[in-house]
Amino acid sequence: MKIGIHGLTSCYGCQLSMAIVRRLLDVVDKFEVEYFYMLSSKGDIADVDVAFVEGSVSTDMDEEEVKKIREHAKVLVAVGSCAIHGGVQSILHNEGIDYDQAFATVYGDRPIHYRGRVAEPIDKYVQVDYRLPGCPPEEEEIMYYLSTFAIGSWPEEKDYPVCAECRRAGNPCILIERNEPCLGPVTVAGCDARCIKYDIPCIGCRGAVPHDTAWFDSLAKTFKDRGMDKEYVRKRMAIFSAHHGKLDEMLDAIYGD
Amino acid sequence: MKVTKEIRVDHLARIEGKAGIEVDVGDDGVEAKLNVTEGARFFEVITRNKHYNEAVAIFPRICSFCCTPHKLTPIEAVEWALDIQPSEQTRKLRDLLYLGNVVESHALHLYLLVVPDYLGYPDAFAVAQKDGGLVKDGLFLKDVGAEIQTAIGSRSIHPESAIVGGFGTLPSRRTLEKIAAMAEEGIQKAVRAVDFFAEYEYPQYVDIKRQHLSIKPYDVYGVYGNTMVSNNGDQFPVEDYRQHLAEEVAPYSYAKRGLFNDQPYMVGALSRVVNNDHLLTGTAQDLMERYHQFVTPDNPFANNFAQAVEMVFFLERIRELIQEIGEPVQEKPAQPSRASGEGYAVTEAPRGLLIYYMNIEDHVVTDVDVITPTAMFLPMMEKDIAAMAEGLWRDGMQDGDTIAKKVEMVARAYDPCISCSVHVTRL
Repeated sequence: MKIGIHGLTSCYGCQLSMAIVRRLLDVVDKFEVEYFYMLSSKGDIADVDVAFVEGSVSTDMDEEEVKKIREHAKVLVAVGSCAIHGGVQSILHNEGIDYDQAFATVYGDRPIHYRGRVAEPIDKYVQVDYRLPGCPPEEEEIMYYLSTFAIGSWPEEKDYPVCAECRRAGNPCILIERNEPCLGPVTVAGCDARCIKYDIPCIGCRGAVPHDTAWFDSLAKTFKDRGMDKEYVRKRMAIFSAHHGKLDEMLDAIYGD
Repeated sequence: MKVTKEIRVDHLARIEGKAGIEVDVGDDGVEAKLNVTEGARFFEVITRNKHYNEAVAIFPRICSFCCTPHKLTPIEAVEWALDIQPSEQTRKLRDLLYLGNVVESHALHLYLLVVPDYLGYPDAFAVAQKDGGLVKDGLFLKDVGAEIQTAIGSRSIHPESAIVGGFGTLPSRRTLEKIAAMAEEGIQKAVRAVDFFAEYEYPQYVDIKRQHLSIKPYDVYGVYGNTMVSNNGDQFPVEDYRQHLAEEVAPYSYAKRGLFNDQPYMVGALSRVVNNDHLLTGTAQDLMERYHQFVTPDNPFANNFAQAVEMVFFLERIRELIQEIGEPVQEKPAQPSRASGEGYAVTEAPRGLLIYYMNIEDHVVTDVDVITPTAMFLPMMEKDIAAMAEGLWRDGMQDGDTIAKKVEMVARAYDPCISCSVHVTRL
């Protein structure tokens, strides 16, 4: 099976996670890696069975590249929060800051040849067949996706929140018991509630639960009852869900406009 | 300038991030540019108007290779701003966490990104087929660093458990002892890496006098210290960085570019070793004596060697720190003693100096400035790339591909981190 591993604008953490999966050697002989530029100087974008794409579309080159990857891939997997949700750089979108304004803040009025744009998830430009969530994805899940493809099957995406795994792990609920701003209830599972195990409230890095079942309103009500104001809640929820279509309307429903 | 030869590397492989190299050989000299084509990510804009806890959770996403430095450095800046005094144990655990990142990053860079050049292979997969031991050593050393970051920081990429004031749940003594044993086992492997790099002579074309900038460590050779020093005797505290470190914008790059005393300069493992070698002890000190001719301040290829020496030193230091920490005691994070203030921090990320400035008003971040190592050394790297191409050309090398391979090696020796370089800093 031929695979390609690609990176658009991002931190390269998903590719790094895929490069250093410890049990990679168990499955590596099932694959021919046609493209993995972070690790190899051979190859150009070539026909593959599965292309894994990390990163958001943040430049014209990103757009061209992801379209080219799509043309050459039978199956395309969006990997990580940037590819799936636009990543933290999409906060600009939620804050309503336009590209030129952000650009001027950072680079002043000096000209740069490349034209950038506010980050967007890749499914805005190409069809995405599967999503491998995480910031970065967990090793177990990378192995699961690779293994299912290797045997000619396909991965099933999780559609329930971090809380499900958190309760099963027997953690105390730091949201209810300690009023921590934990985003576990709206964040897709798969990390085994890693942060709560470390007594750190979930920041939502894996992105919202899919299929329109991220109940930001219900969680916002819980936060509101605990004295958290709308701006704080919106800013925290928007870090990894800036492009979520329902976030603002659900917050308005609880806090008012 | 009339250009007689163009050398183009559209997409430089085996580096962190996306960049290309352009070299023009012309009648009055050689010009080199590193085109940084990755999109800008505006971290200083997206962290503004956020509570400092959210802001410090966002910064690590600047870069996966240096995520831990991009967590621990802004934490220092917040703590300066709000006069937060973390415990002695927190400081030691942070030191350990940070060194875990440096060892992991050096191992990934040397074994997966650089070694293939030295052995003439396209990648580490091909190296592994010929010399599995070498790649296994690298992955083991990477694991030592990853284990440390997972135990103390919750995971090796984007550690969430290091927070302002302290940590979440701490690892047990037993976990730390296991890591100490791994570090012990890693030392001999790291020494083999030093021996490996000591078998190669550096190309003379890039022997260029240069400035080296690093921190002046508080006490032990390491990553923390709030004063910067140069190999020419300059010295200044981090809060004066704007007076000393200029940044310019080039039209062909999203990355900013640094100057010190109006000249290009170098930061990173070589700069640290050049400026602070008197602080190296143990096996690293022995290696420095045995291989002193490889620590050439004027040749960037010595950076690979310096990284290997640092791996040895930091593995011994990791063992020592774990002994000093003993049984970790769960503590409440230290609290701010004021709600507003300005803070500065500088640390030594794997690739060199990393500076954060933050202004906080009523717990909310209102201003951020980040200067990354790659932005600092870009002009020096371009100078070296031009020198390499010019030297080869003058000696009669006509083949563009061969010159391209050599200039790529110059770029890789710096261990550039493109994701880090695009995004930040205020004018």
